[in-house]
This record gives sequence, C-alpha cells and structure tokens, in this order.
Amino acid sequence: MHLITIFVNKKLVIQLKNIQKKFKNKIALKNLNLEIKSGEIYGLLGANGAGKSTTINLLLGFIKADNGSICMKDPINNLKIKRDKLGYIPENVNLYPYLSGIENLDYFSKIANLHFNKSQLEEILISCGLQEDSIHKLISGYSKGMRQKVGIAIAYAKKAKIYLLDEPASGLDPYSSNELSILLKKLKNQGSTILMASHDIFRVRETCDKIGILKGGELVKEMYSKDVTSKQLEELYLDFMKN
Amino acid sequence: MLTIFKNEWKAFLRNKIFLFFSIFFVLLLIITTYFGILQNNQQIINQKSAQDHIRNQWDEMGPYNAHSAAHFGTYAFKPNSILSSLDEGVNAVTGIVLRLEGHKQNDAAFSESSQSLFVSQFGKFKISLLFQFIIPLFLIFFSYNIYTSEITSGRLKLLIVQGNSFKKIIFSKILTLLSLAGILLLFSVLFQLLFNFNQIGVEELLRLSIFFLAYILYYSIIISFTVLISLLLKNNTSALSLTLICWFLWTIFFPKTIGSFTEDLTPQSSRFLLQSNMDEDREKGIDGHNPEDVRIKELEAKVLREYNVDSLSQLPINFSGILLQADEDYGNKVWDKHYGLLYSNLLKQKKHYQISGLINPFASLQNLSMASSGTDLIHHLDFLSKAELYRRKFIKTLNNEYTYGNFKIDGGNLSSSDFFKSIDDFNYNGLSIHKIIVKYTLDILFLISWTAILLLLINAKTKKYLINES
Repeated sequence: MHLITIFVNKKLVIQLKNIQKKFKNKIALKNLNLEIKSGEIYGLLGANGAGKSTTINLLLGFIKADNGSICMKDPINNLKIKRDKLGYIPENVNLYPYLSGIENLDYFSKIANLHFNKSQLEEILISCGLQEDSIHKLISGYSKGMRQKVGIAIAYAKKAKIYLLDEPASGLDPYSSNELSILLKKLKNQGSTILMASHDIFRVRETCDKIGILKGGELVKEMYSKDVTSKQLEELYLDFMKN
Repeated sequence: MLTIFKNEWKAFLRNKIFLFFSIFFVLLLIITTYFGILQNNQQIINQKSAQDHIRNQWDEMGPYNAHSAAHFGTYAFKPNSILSSLDEGVNAVTGIVLRLEGHKQNDAAFSESSQSLFVSQFGKFKISLLFQFIIPLFLIFFSYNIYTSEITSGRLKLLIVQGNSFKKIIFSKILTLLSLAGILLLFSVLFQLLFNFNQIGVEELLRLSIFFLAYILYYSIIISFTVLISLLLKNNTSALSLTLICWFLWTIFFPKTIGSFTEDLTPQSSRFLLQSNMDEDREKGIDGHNPEDVRIKELEAKVLREYNVDSLSQLPINFSGILLQADEDYGNKVWDKHYGLLYSNLLKQKKHYQISGLINPFASLQNLSMASSGTDLIHHLDFLSKAELYRRKFIKTLNNEYTYGNFKIDGGNLSSSDFFKSIDDFNYNGLSIHKIIVKYTLDILFLISWTAILLLLINAKTKKYLINES
C-alpha cells in the first residue's frame, strides 16, 4: 500500500499529448500520448518504423511535431528540462576513435561547460561500469558495450534528468546487455527518468517499470512489467504485430 | 568553440595518414620555398652583376660619339623582387630584360624558360602551384565530410545534446580547417621573411600581407563551399564529386575558356602583323640616315631659318643630331600608336579576366597573388612603359649631346667619358601598394563577397538541426 502511494505521488517528467508527425506521405506518429513519471524506466517496444526513434528525436528536439505538445519537467523544481539536461544514448555510440574513453568523456563534458579533473573523470567512468584498465585506451579498441558505458557516463557527468536510449541493447552480448540493465536501474535509483526504445522484449521486461507497444505510430498497449511475464509480453507483442 | 577547435586538431594530429601527408607536404613546401628563394636570389645577383657590367661599360667609355653610344644602347632589367619566388606570374614567359637603343624599341627577352633547358623541357615546380592547386585539393579532401561524418556516426546529435548549437559545431570545424591552411601558408611566408630578413621592408611586408590575406580568403571560400555542398547534399560521395567538379571548373576550365573569351572580346593582332604595321608607319617618318629624304629637306630649311643661316655648315650645332631626334620623336609616336593600342587591349583583357572573379574566385586569387608578388601583367606593362620612357630620355640625352655638346664644325665631335658617366641607369621600383589595391579592388571585393556569401549561406543552413526523414 505504501509503495503504491509513493508511485502515485510521483510527478510526471515526460508528457507527450496527441503527437502527430508525418514525413512526406508517411505517418510516423499518430495521436501519441505518453506519460513517464519521475524515476521510471519506460520501455518502448515496436517493430522497425513503428515510431520509436521518431519519439526519441522529438524529445531531443531534432524533429518538430506537426501537432500535439511535448512537456519535459524537472520533478523537483517543476522547471522545463532543456536539451542539455537530456542524456542521449544512440544504438551505436560512435565516439571519437582517436580519443581514449576518458578523453571522450572529458571532451563531451567540456563542450557542455563541465570541467572535471582526471580522478573525477575516472570515477564517473568506473561508476558507469567501465573497467579501470580500459579507461585510458583508445575508443577504437572498445566493444559496443564499452562505448555505450562511455555514452552513459557522458550523460551521467552532466547529471542528466532524463536518459533517452535508442535501441541500446541491440547487438550487445547477453553479459553486456545485463550490465546495461544493472546500470540503468542504478540510474533510476538515483532519481533519473529513462525512456528506452527497443526490440528486445526480454531486456525491456527485465529493465523497465512500464512498457508501451508502438505500432504504426500509435501506442497500442501500455502495461507495468511487474504485471506480465516475459513469455506473456512476447505473446502480447506478437499478437499486436500480427493484427 | 575552442574545445571543438582543439579536438579537431587532436584528430588531425592523431591521424597517421594526415601526419604522413602533412609532414611530406610541409617538407615539400619548405624545399620548394627554399629553392625558390635561392633561385630568385641568384637571379637577383645575376641581374645585379649584369647591371653593374653595363654600368661599367658606360663608366669606362672613353671619348666616344654620342650617337654611336645610342646604338650601343643599354639594358633595362625587370627586377626580381624577393617575393617573385612566391608567384612567378607572367615573368616566366614575358622576359625580364629589355635592350634599350636608338631608333627602335625592342621586346623584353630572356624569360626563365628561354634560359633554362630544364625549365623549358619539364616546366618548373612552383610554390604557387602548391598554394593554388595542392592546398585547395587538400582542403577539399579534409572538409567534404566534416558534416556528413558527424551525422553518419551519430556524433552530431550527441554534440548538440551536450548543449552545442549546430552552427557552432560547423563553424568550429571550418575554423580548424582554415587554421590548418593558414599554418601551411604562414610556413612559406615566414620562410620568406627568415631568408630575406635583411631585404624586407614595409613595402614587402604589406605585399606579403596582401598575398596572405588573398590566399586565406580563397581557402575560406574553398572550405565554406565544400561544407555548404556537403550540408546541401548530405552525402559524402555526391558532395565530394560536385566539389571536385567545381574545383576543376574554377582552376582549369574557366581560366582557359575565359582567357580565350577575353581574347575574342578584344582581339590582338599577331606579332608579325604588329611589327609590319609599325614598320609601314615608321617608313612614313624621317629617315635620319638618309640625306635625300624629302622630310629631311623640310626640317633642314626650318632649322636654317631658326638659326638664320644659309647652309648646314654655318650651323653652330650638329644638324644630324636634330634629324636623329626628329626620327626618334616620330618613332615614339608610331610606338605609342601601336603599342598604346596593344597595351590598352591587354589591360582590357585583364579587366575582363578580373570580372570573371564573379563566377570564379580562383581568377581573383591568381590576380592578387601575382600582383602582390609583383609579377602580374600590370607590373609588367608598367615596367615596359617606364623602360620606354627611360629609353626616350636616354636617347634624347645622347642626341642632345650629339647635337649641342662638344660640337666641332670640323667634325670629330666625341663626348667625354664624364658625360657617359653622368647618364643615370634605369631603375624600376614596381607599383606602390596603393596602386596595387586600386588596380585590384575588384578582385579583393570578389574574394570578400564570395567568402561572406558562402558563410551567410552556411549560417542560414545551420540555424537549426532538424531531421526531415524517419
């Protein structure tokens, strides 16, 4: 009962109302309504072209909606969250290959006007799951999972209020994928709000608090992950895809 | 902006291929500049020695007939400025030595290609070739993907999410490339300063500044143009192809076709026709060496009236000198008519070529590069005109001496060596900076306009980064 009360009291951080977006003649989003609360990990499932990346790009401000409204508010002060307080982790975090992990973090932090010393940078990278011995190695030698950790560290360093992850688990081995889940839960526990677009039903079920299924630009189903098993979620997802 | 700028430089310096080519390029630049300076300085020394030799001949000339001295003549040397090694301009083909003598005007001779078998057979590796062709190509290859590489890697979104504006990212990258070009350019300019430290005055510094600014503007155009194409096409291959096509048009196709077009607009007669027309007109004048000429008789009567005497033998002056000067004056008119037209046509062609800067910034760069090095057509024509003026004064001095000085009625009118020593040498100082700027205002304006327009277009195109496709 107590837990439910806390959850209900959580403020909305992301709110998309009646969003419509068309690219030329193709409808990308159709009356999309989406609400994500503070400290929530929201998983957006959907096939290719369902509108997952479009939703993330809308939130990042790289796409303008044809209709509807988008609101991102800081749950603490109720102020609008600006783009520089968003953490964005694309499917492939292609950082600068000629820089090491720590140099990449330093560079991306500096362009956000954040200045850290070496030990602070190392600390951020380690807290985002990067092994200490790889911090000073060139990114060109990093695996996809390692690059993703640096990507998360970049957002973490600027104390991002919201993390937007576009297919983060795609192409990751199960171990790295599990590490990602742990990391995202850690961020959630620190108060961050996370929206994760993915194909990976199992990973979404394991990581997210709430799940939405997008089909043809429409949010066709929403549920709490605690209410479904992975198997049920898979069946539900496949049913929606078939129909 | 500074952080992005520094990171871009880090990218250059950590790129082994870039480093290899840069080191190779800088070495090539140093070697070419060094040998260019050596060659130029050697030419300056040779010219000085030839000039001294001619001067000595005049200084050591004993009592001698002034008219024979006019036939002996002298030479005008187009001085190689210390900046000529940066851009040889028209010097390589026009000739840099002009023989000045009585009765006739000669063409400039002894171009570098006519004196060096190697140069005439294989051409010369000029530093301007690096500046005008190689560096721009280098810049195109470095700038065609600065936008698309950030898009395809997804880093552009990451950079923008970090609070950077799209505009700031693109302009920082442009600035980085421009600084790279500036460093390469500065290398050569500093090398010039280092090796010619004692000879560089305010004039040379100002010329070097014009040279440097003209190239920096042109490189800004190349980089901005390449980036703009990349912003418009959003595709590496198409952007590179289109930029290279434009580069080819600007540097190879347009100069040739516009050159031919300007020649068609103001056609020139052939050298043979010019000479035969001049000879034809010249024959209509007084022939100082032909006593039976009718016009001589008329002049003779006029001079006799002037001195109030009945025969040439009573004249207190040497009538032959009057005749020779009259012949000279007539020849000068003929020269003014034909060469005046030729020079005016050449200047018209030059103007038309300058106007082509409207569609081809390379033309403006070429003009300013040659002008600041003192090797352009305007400097050359100025040299020829001043050399001709000197020749007229020189011949008139000799003719006057022949007519009035040391004249002995019984002949043997030889002038003293002091007289020959008193004749000044021809010295050409080139055009002043002010004149260069006035003559090349159009080119300066075109380069500035091209740069400004391209930067404004990039500014408009990078106002906001928006994705237009799913």
